Amino acid sequence: MMFLAIRELKHSKLRYLLIGLIMVLVALLVFIISGLANGLSSDNASSIQNMKADYFVMEHDSKNKLNRSIISMEKLDEIRAISDVKAAEGLGQMMITLNKIGSSEKTDVTIFATDASGILAPKVIEGKSYDNKKQGEVIADRSLKEVGYKLGDSLKDDLSGKVFTIVGFTEKQSYSHTPAVYMNVKGWQEINPGLKNQGKDSISTIAVQMDSKSEENVRESLPEGVTLISKEESLQSIPGFKEEQGTLTMMIAFLFVIAAFVLAVFFYVITLQKTNQFGVLKALGANTGYLAKSIVGQVMLLAVTCIAISVALTYGVTLIMPEGMPFELSADLVIKYSVLLLAVSVLGSLLSLYRVAKIDAIEAIGRVS
Amino acid sequence: MMGDKLLFENVSKVYGEGDNKVIALDDICLNVRAGEFVAIVGPSGSGKSTFLSIAGALLSPSKGRLLLNGEDITTLSPKELTRVRLEKIGFVFQSSNLVPYLSVRDQLLLLSELIGKRDKTTVKKADELLSQLGLGHRAGHLPEALSGGERQRVAIARSLMNDPEIILADEPTASLDSKRGRDVVEMLAHEVKSRNKAAIMVTHDERMLDLCDRVVNITDGKVFG
Ligand SMILES: Nc1ncnc2c1ncn2[C@@H]1O[C@H](COP(=O)(O)OP(=O)(O)OP(=O)(O)O)[C@@H](O)[C@H]1O
Ligand SMILES: [Mg+2]
Repeated sequence: MMFLAIRELKHSKLRYLLIGLIMVLVALLVFIISGLANGLSSDNASSIQNMKADYFVMEHDSKNKLNRSIISMEKLDEIRAISDVKAAEGLGQMMITLNKIGSSEKTDVTIFATDASGILAPKVIEGKSYDNKKQGEVIADRSLKEVGYKLGDSLKDDLSGKVFTIVGFTEKQSYSHTPAVYMNVKGWQEINPGLKNQGKDSISTIAVQMDSKSEENVRESLPEGVTLISKEESLQSIPGFKEEQGTLTMMIAFLFVIAAFVLAVFFYVITLQKTNQFGVLKALGANTGYLAKSIVGQVMLLAVTCIAISVALTYGVTLIMPEGMPFELSADLVIKYSVLLLAVSVLGSLLSLYRVAKIDAIEAIGRVS
Repeated sequence: MMGDKLLFENVSKVYGEGDNKVIALDDICLNVRAGEFVAIVGPSGSGKSTFLSIAGALLSPSKGRLLLNGEDITTLSPKELTRVRLEKIGFVFQSSNLVPYLSVRDQLLLLSELIGKRDKTTVKKADELLSQLGLGHRAGHLPEALSGGERQRVAIARSLMNDPEIILADEPTASLDSKRGRDVVEMLAHEVKSRNKAAIMVTHDERMLDLCDRVVNITDGKVFG
């Protein structure tokens, strides 16, 4: 089956080298953009993505936005009482700017407030967790450490005048491209201007662990004034998340279309050029199936080689990427896109197969070439 | 009859319908025996290519039967006809039509590859054929490095590779000067005799006819001779 395919590749090296180069570049771009999309998505939403929750209970009029949702703490017990809910925990959220005391440095962060021993408490990688009773203790995402913050540093919220001390660090916690800072619910309630006049014991949302199968049941048992959204919906409502991911996904989709078209046109033109040759081969006794396998074999060989080269190049590129560049590429994703690229390449050769099927062996007789 | 390799029984071929109808072959009866080298001559448009296409299982006749080595091939499916061409018919085309990226040896091995048994024996067979046709030293060359005469000799070697019942040649000397053309036809005649094959050659070149056992004249789709 590869008798003709390999010999032709060897003979027309330049031609196939050029199309191979285009394939390598397209595949490289697919891998780099998807790595970037993935990296940006974590940078934007890792707090929510890594949270041990499946659904969120939001205030009815919040438009799924965490910073607009306010739920009374009493509701937490009502939610926990619903039979299909495995576990639930309150979460407070707000975005603020913190001043490092003793310097002019300011940092935008997202505050998350939850029970330090509850299901949403982040994993501490350095230092200790904050105290549920004591005021002013926080744990911060590691990215703050990377920009120079240390354990014991004090941070001030200008609006409320409250001061917080970093007692621990966690990792992979960011929201809307800002590092997450965790504290107890009391502390969050004190600095949240939205709660000042209410004086009630409130939180932003209630994170719920439950099966997606029981979604309908839980929804019907919800108390007044709240709705249930999935984790995915909650991600989509993070400022900028949808737009960012949408743009990158579209670019990747276009790259697949481009790969398919470039290969389709290339192999079609080559097949047209070889019409006489295929006619002769058919007259000699080659059936369409054999010729088709030969073309698909050629495309697969080319595609596999090019994809392998661009995977290697992609890992090479990650080595020279600047520190802190949001780039994340899992083996899973590389395999998924490699298979997809291969499939798209084979799809691109279908046009040529159609052409080959239509060539009539009789053209070999009585023709002057 | 036992010695009949190819038998045309009242074969007609009509192209088109109604006013556009062209009778390319009209009730042809012809047989070619083993070891026989037949030349087909005739004016342009007389039906030579049509005749050869039918003989080569590339075209089915409108009427009549065609027997190849005693087997009626007019009833076969296109797929079976492809197999018949591969196993029982050797082709030598007008301009050799070698595959440009295959070495001379691979041109022959392609036929074994297509038939599904390419191994050491077929490599040996290819090399033997090439040396018999004086091409032993050319086995590793690409067609572009060969002269026109050498290319036609490769085409003859290729046509013999799968041990066909019959060899069909379509103006094999058209792209050669008369000296080289004669060499090629001599070689073809020699191979047909020594291997006891049958061969049909369409030609315009009257100077080759003395090398053939029989000359068949086609005019307006009818056979004379
Ligand atoms: N596919 C076709 N459709 C319609 N008519 C055809 C077709 N092929 C051939 N013919 C006609 O059939 C007749 C015989 O054609 P054929 O090609 O067999 O002649 P030929 O002897 O090979 O001619 P030449 O010496 O010019 O090659 C001609 O009148 C030709 O116009
Ligand atoms: Mg002709």
